[in-house]
Amino acid sequence: MSIVKASKLLKAYPLPENKNESFNAVDGINLEIRRGEIYGILGPNGAGKTTTLEMLEGLTDIDEGIALIDGIDVSKEPYKVKSIIGVQLQSNEYFDRINLAELLILFGKLYDQKDNSKALLSKVNLLDKASAKPDELSGGQKQRFSIACALVNSPKVLFLDEPTTGLDPQAKRNIWKLIHELKDSGMTIVLTTHNMEEAENLCDRIGIMDKGNLIAEDTPQALINKFAPDPPQAPLQGNIEDVFLSLTGNNLRD
Amino acid sequence: MLTSAQLHLARTFLVIFFRDRQSIAFSLFFPLIFMGAFVFSSGDNDPIKVGLINNSNSNLSKNFSELVSKDPLFDITEGDETVLRKELILGNQTAVVLIPQDFESKNESNELILLLDLSQVRQLASIRDAVDNSLLSIERELRDIEPMFSLTIEDVKARPQRYIDFLLPGLLAFMLMNLSIGGSGFNIVEYRRRGILKRLFVTPIKPKDFIISIVLARMIIVLMQISVILGLSILILDITIVGSLISLYGMVMLGTFIFLCIGFSLGSLAKTQEAIRPIVGLVTFPQLILSGVFFPISSMPELVQPFVSALPLSVVVTGLRDIANDGVSLFSLNSTSLGILIWMVLSFILATRFFVWKEVAK
Repeated sequence: MSIVKASKLLKAYPLPENKNESFNAVDGINLEIRRGEIYGILGPNGAGKTTTLEMLEGLTDIDEGIALIDGIDVSKEPYKVKSIIGVQLQSNEYFDRINLAELLILFGKLYDQKDNSKALLSKVNLLDKASAKPDELSGGQKQRFSIACALVNSPKVLFLDEPTTGLDPQAKRNIWKLIHELKDSGMTIVLTTHNMEEAENLCDRIGIMDKGNLIAEDTPQALINKFAPDPPQAPLQGNIEDVFLSLTGNNLRD
Repeated sequence: MLTSAQLHLARTFLVIFFRDRQSIAFSLFFPLIFMGAFVFSSGDNDPIKVGLINNSNSNLSKNFSELVSKDPLFDITEGDETVLRKELILGNQTAVVLIPQDFESKNESNELILLLDLSQVRQLASIRDAVDNSLLSIERELRDIEPMFSLTIEDVKARPQRYIDFLLPGLLAFMLMNLSIGGSGFNIVEYRRRGILKRLFVTPIKPKDFIISIVLARMIIVLMQISVILGLSILILDITIVGSLISLYGMVMLGTFIFLCIGFSLGSLAKTQEAIRPIVGLVTFPQLILSGVFFPISSMPELVQPFVSALPLSVVVTGLRDIANDGVSLFSLNSTSLGILIWMVLSFILATRFFVWKEVAK
């Protein structure tokens, strides 16, 4: 059962050096994301991950191809799609002088929802920051808050664009825990990442993008079996991140 | 009708504005300074400072200097040529009148020399007129003849009209222009740059909802700010609004609409925060000078008058002045209401044309 379905999705942008010619940022990719799974889109910078997400979210026009979210055509009914998805963007800036609770109430209103700011804040562990302004938050707190904002409408599909980039290991693991909890509640999660460990540990399936194309797609284990026939010897004593975590503890540092 | 999302977004914009004490203070600062200047000045024109150099010993020159000293238009300092010339250059005197040695005949024409620093005298013509008039009356007195005509000035509109009564509508219009353009143009550029617009547009609100909310919030902000200045003017400066307040506020709202639309266009035109400032300056600053905020457009060269009076700020200033000073109703069809209507349509088209929704969310 796929909840996100995209076929031959294409987005062309004019070349920065020559406006008359264009290149395909996303070059006709097909995607099928199953209900309730965590799907990771992996790829180097400029591979077309964010553009793909933005087309699925109805933020960027789809030049060619069709995208369906829960059976709704994104090009034809973008507002209907927007009301059933949650989106966390890479940049997370908000209105000045408005605190977290007020922002969540505002975002709720944009979906015609009642105030559930308290529940959302406690879900992302920020209840004590309800009256703080977003720019008073640490990186990890900001990221958790932006996930809370994406959850105001209890979305069927949650899109996360590099949710752990720039976070320390504690904050990163905290976000992973949160994403797992959301998956357990039945939500479908689509995320982009640069972090291989995140892709391997968090995602049920991974799609690897390069130059606008989806070049491989499977479960992490299957991809490893297929493309990494010579697995490196597993380190006996863990890696340096384990050292870092055992020295500095698992507690969140915000 | 308005949706609860639109209302709540508008409420948020209002909260943002009212929590920003600094920008409230700044938007009131300019008009308050001007009003303050009027509270502390008597309103009468100061006499023109004129130096007098008397190089003649004749009775006529003595008589002349006595008479000219009595003229309330002038503040006469008699003195030495080198000293007065220096004072004139320093700007301590506006003009210096030089009485030549051969100034003695009552029957012939006597030449007087008027020394001026032409780079400093803005109203040469009016000073010349004042001196000429004064010479004429002195001449009559010296020759002992009655003037043939006398002039009594009566206002056909029969109302006390001071400069501040003229100025206030102009200041209100200028204020609403700044508040509107600042509130739409600057905000959009900033929200776009910081990704806030994108964040809004991942929710199911439409660009229309966003625009309606900004317009609604700005309307309320402008009306409140205008009310503060208007209230203070009525209380402290004893301003009378001849027309109805409903007309006045109606005109304020129409003007706000025009400048919000212009602001949206400018905000879409400017891609960066650095670009919006000069672009807005380019639009607002010339209008402050040209649109009759401080002096009537009719005092400008005739050639430029038609262009200048077609500027949006001119139209709003004239509209407010018609209502505040002449008691014209908002709904009376005249060239000003036509101008307002044209600018409303034009600015709305510009705003919707330039305001590329998809780009807003970039």
